[in-house]
Amino acid sequence: MVLETEPMPFLPWLAGAADEWWKVVLGLTVLGLLLALLVRAVRYGPVDAVRTVGRGIWTTIVDLTRISPRRVLALAWLARREALHRWVLMAFVLFSLLLLFGAWFLDELSNDPSRLYLAFVLEMSRGLLLLLALVLSVASIPADLAQRTIFTIVTKPVRASELVLGRMLGFWMVGTAMLLFFGIVGYVVVMRGLTHTHEILPTKVESVSDGTGTTGKTGITETTRRHLHNFDIDNEGRGRTTPAQGHWHEVHVEGKGDAAKYVLGPPQGWLQARVPIWGKLRFKDRAGADAAEGVSVGEEWAYRSYIEGGTLATAIWRFEGLRERDFPEGLPLELTIRVFRTYKGDIVSAVQGGLRVRNPETGEVSAERSFPAREFTTDSQFIPRKLFDPEGKPLDLFEDLITPAGAVEIELQCVTPSQYFGMAQPDVYVRARDGSFTLNYVKCYLGIWFQMLMLTAVGVMFSTFLNLPVALLATIGTLLGGYKLDYIRELTSPQMVGGGPVEQIVRLFTRMNQTTKFEEGTQRNVIMMIDDALRWIFTRLTHVLPDFGALSDSSFVADGFDIPAARVLEHGVSALAFIVPVFIAGYLMFRTREVAR
Amino acid sequence: MSDDVVIETRNLSKVYRDFWGRQKVRALKALDLEVRRGEIFGLLGPNGSGKTTTMKLLLGLLFPTGGEALVLGKPATDVTKNERIGYLPEESYLYRFLNAEETLDFYGRLFDMPAHRRRRRAAELIELVGLGGAKRRQLREYSKGMSRRLGLAQTLINDPELVLLDEPTSGLDPIGTREMKDLILDLKSQGKTVVLSSHQLADVEDVCDRIAILHLGELKELGRVDSLLKVQDEVEFRVAGLSPAAQQEITEVIRRHHGTLVSMESPTMTLEELFLKIVAESEAHPGRRVMGSHGS
Repeated sequence: MVLETEPMPFLPWLAGAADEWWKVVLGLTVLGLLLALLVRAVRYGPVDAVRTVGRGIWTTIVDLTRISPRRVLALAWLARREALHRWVLMAFVLFSLLLLFGAWFLDELSNDPSRLYLAFVLEMSRGLLLLLALVLSVASIPADLAQRTIFTIVTKPVRASELVLGRMLGFWMVGTAMLLFFGIVGYVVVMRGLTHTHEILPTKVESVSDGTGTTGKTGITETTRRHLHNFDIDNEGRGRTTPAQGHWHEVHVEGKGDAAKYVLGPPQGWLQARVPIWGKLRFKDRAGADAAEGVSVGEEWAYRSYIEGGTLATAIWRFEGLRERDFPEGLPLELTIRVFRTYKGDIVSAVQGGLRVRNPETGEVSAERSFPAREFTTDSQFIPRKLFDPEGKPLDLFEDLITPAGAVEIELQCVTPSQYFGMAQPDVYVRARDGSFTLNYVKCYLGIWFQMLMLTAVGVMFSTFLNLPVALLATIGTLLGGYKLDYIRELTSPQMVGGGPVEQIVRLFTRMNQTTKFEEGTQRNVIMMIDDALRWIFTRLTHVLPDFGALSDSSFVADGFDIPAARVLEHGVSALAFIVPVFIAGYLMFRTREVAR
Repeated sequence: MSDDVVIETRNLSKVYRDFWGRQKVRALKALDLEVRRGEIFGLLGPNGSGKTTTMKLLLGLLFPTGGEALVLGKPATDVTKNERIGYLPEESYLYRFLNAEETLDFYGRLFDMPAHRRRRRAAELIELVGLGGAKRRQLREYSKGMSRRLGLAQTLINDPELVLLDEPTSGLDPIGTREMKDLILDLKSQGKTVVLSSHQLADVEDVCDRIAILHLGELKELGRVDSLLKVQDEVEFRVAGLSPAAQQEITEVIRRHHGTLVSMESPTMTLEELFLKIVAESEAHPGRRVMGSHGS
């Protein structure tokens, strides 16, 4: 699984996030107040401006603190009824149709159908839900204004805060109900879609003997869902199949002699929620000296660093907090190593790697264990308690190689000369345990739920002061900006190859190479000035836009990793921290609007 | 503002501007107005005279460009004043996917009314506006008159002190119009203040105690209806059973006293009175043609 940002514990994350949040909210508040003072002062003079803004602040405090739950619930009820009346049925139908027919187009020959099914269901749920949230939230208030039904509401003792909150709450309720539906149906679809068994014909089972007698049986299953398995059974009548498409089955024999029947259990190895313990990665270069990173093999995506085979280049992961009571038998390691071949060689054979365990305090190290690195698969390596040092002296994993505080280093090298191993920090981890897949699935839907809450809030906020098409565009812009936040951050970097947005456009139209320098002169200065201004705007935008991409955890579930509870908590806090100011902004915009205009 | 005054506007003005802030229309010019407790006050004027703008300013649906409006002693933009106000818009802007019961329950909740009170009040009002048989039908199936009646019910859901009615008889048939006027008079008898805007002169004349006549955003006339309508230098007698000879004699008397006889004819009833009479007779004697009895 790709994790481009290092997971942080909740409290340090919260401290940093809260610090930024306060600054942004305070900045926006001061900016809003200054703008209001300026506009009012220009129109009615400075005295009126101060008086009006002061009264406005007081009214805001009153309106936000005297919200009537009954009125908010009534307005939420109305929004819910309106949504049911307008769009929800369509979303149900669309979801059902996509589920019914979308599965036809999933690749049955995929190496990992469970990933495919999960990604399909999760992404479809997210897409449809966000589409529904977008349409509902943006259309409601403009429709009310156009039909003037809002006259009968705002002439009741309804505060603008209640009206905005009621709308948001109503659409949140609808979105939540939809998400529950999507989640439950999606779960059933995944389970039913993946569940299968294989028939075993007695004619395809053979006895295995080692000269002293029969040791068991071996055979091959019939093809189901375009794959089959080989299997082995011991004399007790129990065994398992070889893995295929990321899963395997238990096999047992029922009956004896000619009446013997070979029965396969359900697929296993799919739908996992591995709980990893991540380590910290550092490198040594080909001469064995410490290095900030490995070498680049020329890929644009610099996520993975590479170490050269047949040299002293090493990737070292340091793990902390490993306790003997958690791993009494040894350490279950999992590795996803990317292989970069500088020559083809025997493409079927794996490139060989070496693995050592080192005590970071004493420097004691285990003998190298050799392992084959296969591409695009996750390899399991179990480090047993009993190990040996390079001289053959026995070592105990916890007594000799892991410090009393639970720290250990895992060193990986590429053994095959002139080939490279590519690796990023999350590529090697200790598999601490397996969590519940169902719970993980729920946690992933929580991430989608938070996105729906945020998008709905944004849509309602824009609809309080923009007409329908403009509000729709603004909300879509926020959504896309939120998903492309990393790209916007890139745009703000002065070091970006090819320059800022305007410079890039000029290069595009003049077919100028990205690295060619502009000639000094007015044209260049103007371009740089505009780019600097745009960078300033984009930098501010990155602090305001919601990071929707960070809330999407479908890759965790699809790749079989447990979503850490701290991450879910972060998502919840982020969503709340975003929704509160958006709600207040929506309230202020609506309050200053003439609804009968 | 004394307790007796329910609405007070001082120099109230409204200018509609375009996106760039340029003046488009001066809809209301320096309106000074007082509406007293317990009266029926009419805002009269042709289309575009500023009466709906005035109503919207009083309700806080628009913000004044200049001056101020106080409603029940509070600024018009203060939402808490709405607790004691009922408003019937020009069209009954109701949610068409709800039924009558749901509609009234919803508006009752906006007044923070507890459930049992909402249920009781909704039942009373549905009965009052005669929608008992259609209370569970979605409003999309309602005729304009039915929607108007439900609109009136929502206006009264909170038993308001002040009722603002924008074109209250719009879309109603003559019977509905009469019922609406009776209801307005009934509200007055309950001590409520009613402000209505209309260009139906007869409606205003029938029910209003005082009127303000607006034209092009300016207040042109303000006062009691009876005194405004009184023709000061003419006298009118309505006498029944007078013979032609007696009529001739009265004419002579007028001439002798240097009066000018403007007209002497049999009085006519209004079309509304005629219509209501026909309907009443038709209901009393179903199947009988009643038109001939009034001369055709």
